[in-house]
Amino acid sequence: MGSLEGIITGFQTALSVEAIFFVLIGVFVGTIIGMLPGLGPISAIAVMIPMTFGMEPSIALIMIAGVYYGAIFGGSTSSILLNAPGVSGTVATAFDGYPMAQQGKAGKALAIAAIASFVGGTVSVILLMLLAPALSSVAISFGPPAYFALMVLGLTAIASLSEGSTTKALISAVAGFMVVTIGIDAQTGTQRFTFGSINLLDGIDFLVIALGLFAIAEVCTLVLNRKDTSLKKFHNIGSLRLSKKDFKEMSGPMSRQSLLGFLIGVLPGAGATIASFIAYISEKRIAKKPEEFGKGSVKGLTAPETANNAATSGAFVPLLSLGIPGSGTTAVMLGAFLVMGVQPGPMLMTERPEIFWGVIASMYIGNIFLLILNLPLIPYFAKVLKIPRPMLISLVIVFSMIGVYAVSFNTFDLYMLLLFGAIGFIMRLFSFPAPPFILAFILGGMMEQSFRQSLTISNGDLMIFITNPISCALLIISLLSFVFPLIGVVRKKKGN
Amino acid sequence: MRKYLILLFILVAMLISACGENEEGNGEDDATETSAEETSASGSEGAKWKPEESIEIIAPAGAGGGWDTTARMAAQVFSEEGIIDGNIGVVNMEGGGGAVAWAHVAGFEENPYKLFVSSPPIIFIPLNGQSEYGHEEFTPIANIIADYAAFAVREDAEWDSINELFEDMKEDPESITVVGTSSPGSMDHMQFVQIAKAAGVDITKIRYVSAQDGGGLTQLLNGSVDVYSTGVAETVEQVRAGNIKVLGVTSEERLEGDVLEDFPTVKEQGIDETFVNWRGFFGPPNMSPDALAYYEAKFKELSDSDAFAEIRSQFGWDELYMNSEEYSQFLDEQKESLGALMDELGLGN
Repeated sequence: MGSLEGIITGFQTALSVEAIFFVLIGVFVGTIIGMLPGLGPISAIAVMIPMTFGMEPSIALIMIAGVYYGAIFGGSTSSILLNAPGVSGTVATAFDGYPMAQQGKAGKALAIAAIASFVGGTVSVILLMLLAPALSSVAISFGPPAYFALMVLGLTAIASLSEGSTTKALISAVAGFMVVTIGIDAQTGTQRFTFGSINLLDGIDFLVIALGLFAIAEVCTLVLNRKDTSLKKFHNIGSLRLSKKDFKEMSGPMSRQSLLGFLIGVLPGAGATIASFIAYISEKRIAKKPEEFGKGSVKGLTAPETANNAATSGAFVPLLSLGIPGSGTTAVMLGAFLVMGVQPGPMLMTERPEIFWGVIASMYIGNIFLLILNLPLIPYFAKVLKIPRPMLISLVIVFSMIGVYAVSFNTFDLYMLLLFGAIGFIMRLFSFPAPPFILAFILGGMMEQSFRQSLTISNGDLMIFITNPISCALLIISLLSFVFPLIGVVRKKKGN
Repeated sequence: MRKYLILLFILVAMLISACGENEEGNGEDDATETSAEETSASGSEGAKWKPEESIEIIAPAGAGGGWDTTARMAAQVFSEEGIIDGNIGVVNMEGGGGAVAWAHVAGFEENPYKLFVSSPPIIFIPLNGQSEYGHEEFTPIANIIADYAAFAVREDAEWDSINELFEDMKEDPESITVVGTSSPGSMDHMQFVQIAKAAGVDITKIRYVSAQDGGGLTQLLNGSVDVYSTGVAETVEQVRAGNIKVLGVTSEERLEGDVLEDFPTVKEQGIDETFVNWRGFFGPPNMSPDALAYYEAKFKELSDSDAFAEIRSQFGWDELYMNSEEYSQFLDEQKESLGALMDELGLGN
């Protein structure tokens, strides 16, 4: 069956009343669960799987997919309003979204996030539809050396994530690297820095760190500054309306990051979190006013929000066309497929076109639903900020704890959450930026593993990073992005 | 406006508590209750033990994996076929390749409502020194299914049989890289080592790479590595698409099923060795004989049911029932032989 016929079959499935109904349920549940700090797509899908028993597989999978991208869509809300990332893909959303909310522009921030998510989601579904079969070769094109080089490229951005002291940013990043080594090392099976505790065998969950460093630390700061009147504005939600200028500013990041986010999402193991960070960093690099980033920049909010939703669709490429789950969430989705008796893989497109194309086609509808669900609800979501401060603070703590506990059912993680809250608070007091810590934590684990995988493959020969064309190209870009700013500095000095 | 807000929070709270109940079952609170009931059950009523509260089956890994699927499918058949009345909840408890869940269950001595599903890692992980609890600490109830390992290479690879591969590995073991999902000393690594050793390869020189998040298949397909050591089911779709070929599977005889029957066993290729990825259920330490007898019978009934047979064929699992006694003995033997193998690799602890 040709692609066109397949696409038509897909729309036939996705436009049936039943499918539309369940997409709606899926994206609604996804948005709500995604909004709660800590509870992400994995919990959301796990909750929905029992509901699908006895359903037509294509409809069930359309719903489950809706839960997945709905959760990423919804995750931005709590990042913006509370600085408490709803899902790991929306950590970078808080960088500019939360400052915007503090300036009394929460409504605008939520509207930008919704529109950026919609555009990112929709553009990437179009790419997915046109290119899914072709892109399966891109998905597997990255070997360990290429992943290593990609992570290096991501790391060159540490300096640009820092406000003020670069030294402090680097210290913060090193701490992130150190923390990520905790747990069983995959390449040797040895325990590192677990201190004999079984709770540390799997290392520390990313969400524990993100919620600690952002949400809990923020709560501490709010308590400390409770008498500060400058935060009064925070109660304002502001207008939802975006000006022409806003749209103009958004258009650049949206068009670039839909594509970039999608491509990063296609790579197994990279995913929405890395995509959103790389989007943020790359927009800051090319922005005319990079100093606005981190202070409520429209671009800084648009970029990660576009990219994380684009990456979510991208992650369907290896899942549907190869049967390779690129992340914990897609692994759970793969599990859901298997329960339905559907085996994702290279044959899915030809043998079960109604499922392959049906899921893809339903994502258009899902994204439209998400937009029309979210936009009118923004004023109500934003009312959260009207809650009296003491109550809001308690709620953030409670929800963060629920979120963390629901992932692992382990009270130890709650102590870790508080510990990282304390660390985050201390870091703030001494103005060590948290984003480099988070970035190093996300990239560090994969960087180390792919470095050592590469060296095992090459028998310890470092040339593998140069002889592999993708890795070589990425390393050169990393080097350039490191050297160019230096040249600029040198020139300025000479000029003076 | 606050009305809406309160409503939203109530909704959310309800949603969360609902999810919590589904997933958690009756977590901690039944620990105290059960000890009282358990004594009455084993004391006065004697042989006839019956569950009086909901049963919790722990999958010591995240959602979507082999343990999770086995536990969920078993729970589903138990309820739908009416084999066990009453509630059965499946709980995921991830961490340390199972170690976290085992330590948890070990703390529920004699509690007949805490079961867990396990497979060869309960042998490997204690041997690796990553868990202080091994199968000896728990009450093996019954083994249910078997799965097998498959060794795959790219379709265009130079090897057409497992022997050709092993011949090259004997000459220059370091020229070939094997990839798997688990860390060295756990399943994907050890299943390959066990067969390679029987073929006469110097197993201390095998280069093994561990790749998570679907990385194993990716690395095989893009040519970063040469051999993918995995489960049979993971290879089927790629073989059908003509991307990879399976050089050998580790079952005693050829498997049944569409593509599966074409996979040669390593045994028919002259290597006298098998590797079974068995999967069964365990109870906490010192489960009472009455409760054990009850579960043993129920798992037998499960294994014999048509509904479970259908699930087996859906997931490509083989039937392998062992009762508690056979299972314990089997596990002891496994530990001994795998322990010797790991000592040779220098991985034992």
